[in-house]
Amino acid sequence: MTVGLNAFILVAALLFAIGMVGVILRKNTLVIYMSLELMLNAINLALVAFSRYNNTMDGNLFVFFIITVAAAEVAVGLAIVVALYRRRQTVMVDQLNALSR
Amino acid sequence: MNELLAEFLRGYTATNEWSAIMPEIMLALLALGLLVSEMFLPKAQHHLIPRIAIWGQVLIGVYAFSCIGGCLTSSGSFFSGMILQTDVSQMMRPFFLLSSILVCYLGRIYLSQQSLAKTEFYHLVLIISAAMMLLVQSSNFVMLFVALETVTVAFYVLVGYCRTSPFSLEGGLKYLILGSLSSAILLFGIVLLYGVAGNPQLPGASPDSLNFQSLQAFIALNQFTGGNLLVNVGAILVVAGICFKIGAVPFQIWVPDVYQGAPTPVTAFLAVASKAAGFIVLLVLVQGPFLALNELLVPVLSFIAAATILFGNIAAVTQRNLKRLMGLSGIAHAGYLLIGVVAVMRGVEWAVYAVIFYLVTYLLASFAVFGVMAITAKADDANQQLDDYANYSRKQPFLSGVLTLGLGSLAGIPPLGGFIAKLFLFVAAYQAGLYGLIAIAILGVVISIYYYFGWIRECYFGVPTSEIVEDTCGQSTVADRTLLGALVAGTVLVGVLPAVLPIIP
Repeated sequence: MTVGLNAFILVAALLFAIGMVGVILRKNTLVIYMSLELMLNAINLALVAFSRYNNTMDGNLFVFFIITVAAAEVAVGLAIVVALYRRRQTVMVDQLNALSR
Repeated sequence: MNELLAEFLRGYTATNEWSAIMPEIMLALLALGLLVSEMFLPKAQHHLIPRIAIWGQVLIGVYAFSCIGGCLTSSGSFFSGMILQTDVSQMMRPFFLLSSILVCYLGRIYLSQQSLAKTEFYHLVLIISAAMMLLVQSSNFVMLFVALETVTVAFYVLVGYCRTSPFSLEGGLKYLILGSLSSAILLFGIVLLYGVAGNPQLPGASPDSLNFQSLQAFIALNQFTGGNLLVNVGAILVVAGICFKIGAVPFQIWVPDVYQGAPTPVTAFLAVASKAAGFIVLLVLVQGPFLALNELLVPVLSFIAAATILFGNIAAVTQRNLKRLMGLSGIAHAGYLLIGVVAVMRGVEWAVYAVIFYLVTYLLASFAVFGVMAITAKADDANQQLDDYANYSRKQPFLSGVLTLGLGSLAGIPPLGGFIAKLFLFVAAYQAGLYGLIAIAILGVVISIYYYFGWIRECYFGVPTSEIVEDTCGQSTVADRTLLGALVAGTVLVGVLPAVLPIIP
């Protein structure tokens, strides 16, 4: 049994949607990061699937760039979260509202 | 598949095309050189580092963008379609270099008031500048994504640069979350376009479907035969990701918070260079890959432009915090610029140059205003209130003159540069038949005069709440005055003689 392209794309779109809902609804910064990673991994899955079915290499190459960039983003992001936790003793976004006032 | 890969790689090794991106390479080397010089210079000589950064960039500018390097004349496609140099990208490269020089200068003023690591600031500014230059030249979605992320990740660090301030860190966190979200949306759009345009069963499918030219040919062919849902969704997602970066409604929520939290030089960099890069990318996309999707995108972008102008101007009216005010008015400026983009899509070719002209006058006026703000700011950089400027003209007559001309140009008062730039945009919109948008934009300009002049009024006619005291903070040096004076002189000169800028052909 082979899995068709549509199944891959459906799973990728679902993962992307779950990640997006997580970013919008969750309050904990670390969970938000995990949701962002989920979105990026959904994109990777779609890229690899398209690359396989279209028989081109560009998609596979692109995945490596996305993984690298995601790692850089997390490195910067966790540094900011740690620094912010030292100042404010919280990582919940609904308590981080010193601006906007 | 292996032959394809071999063909793909051969493009990189066959010719030596590095000289086409020499300015970017030199900027990156200068950025690394700054880190090295911090390691090896003795502590007493560390004040030289900002000077190395600024004068190094001036030298790069002179070398690369004068007749010596001959870069301005080169155009064409390099690195097997990764980079496409056009006259637009060649105009924007000196623009980004100029803005990063000014940011380095403002950064020196800002960092002298704070106890923070200094060298890394200049390093990151140079990296961002180089990446923005590559971003406006990119002609392939991989190149576009990598350059965009280099800019964005470095901006996360810069926005949260003031680690002692909870405001700066909170701004950094908000920018990080929303920026990553927008990158993910942009990427998903790219993936859909890649997948559809590479599908061998569709007409016009190309093995190199991330390339802008192949994508343009594919979309044009498919629009001809009835369109494709996935292409439309992908294009909308990509445009939404870009709209996020330029701060257009409904993706503007991050702008006021991030602009307030970021250190003032970084706010200026975000407002001018980041927005300019976003607009050039948008112009490249709507003139290239998405050319055949005009029917879909023109109504969307027209609506976004109108909403952006109204939201930015109306929200700014009641704002007392000056950095939020600049952020909200920056949203309004993004709306005016979007009118230019829509005019381009309606077939008015020269509107591209009107947009670039507007960006240049926006750079001159914004950096004048942000320069005054950086000099005047106290240690708590995020809380610059309108009340701080009460009777400013008696304390600092020269700086308040600079502020008046800068704000006047942003508001679009003749004979300053901002007026001519808005005039060009509106003429382009008129030629494109966008009468409704022009009416909304003129309404927006009228509202903007209210809040810009509220600030000027505070400087000249404000009633002081307490006795005027000579504070040591906020004194300007001769170099500051020369630079700000030059910016203002540039604004006036562009307004009186628009032909001094060789932009509009």
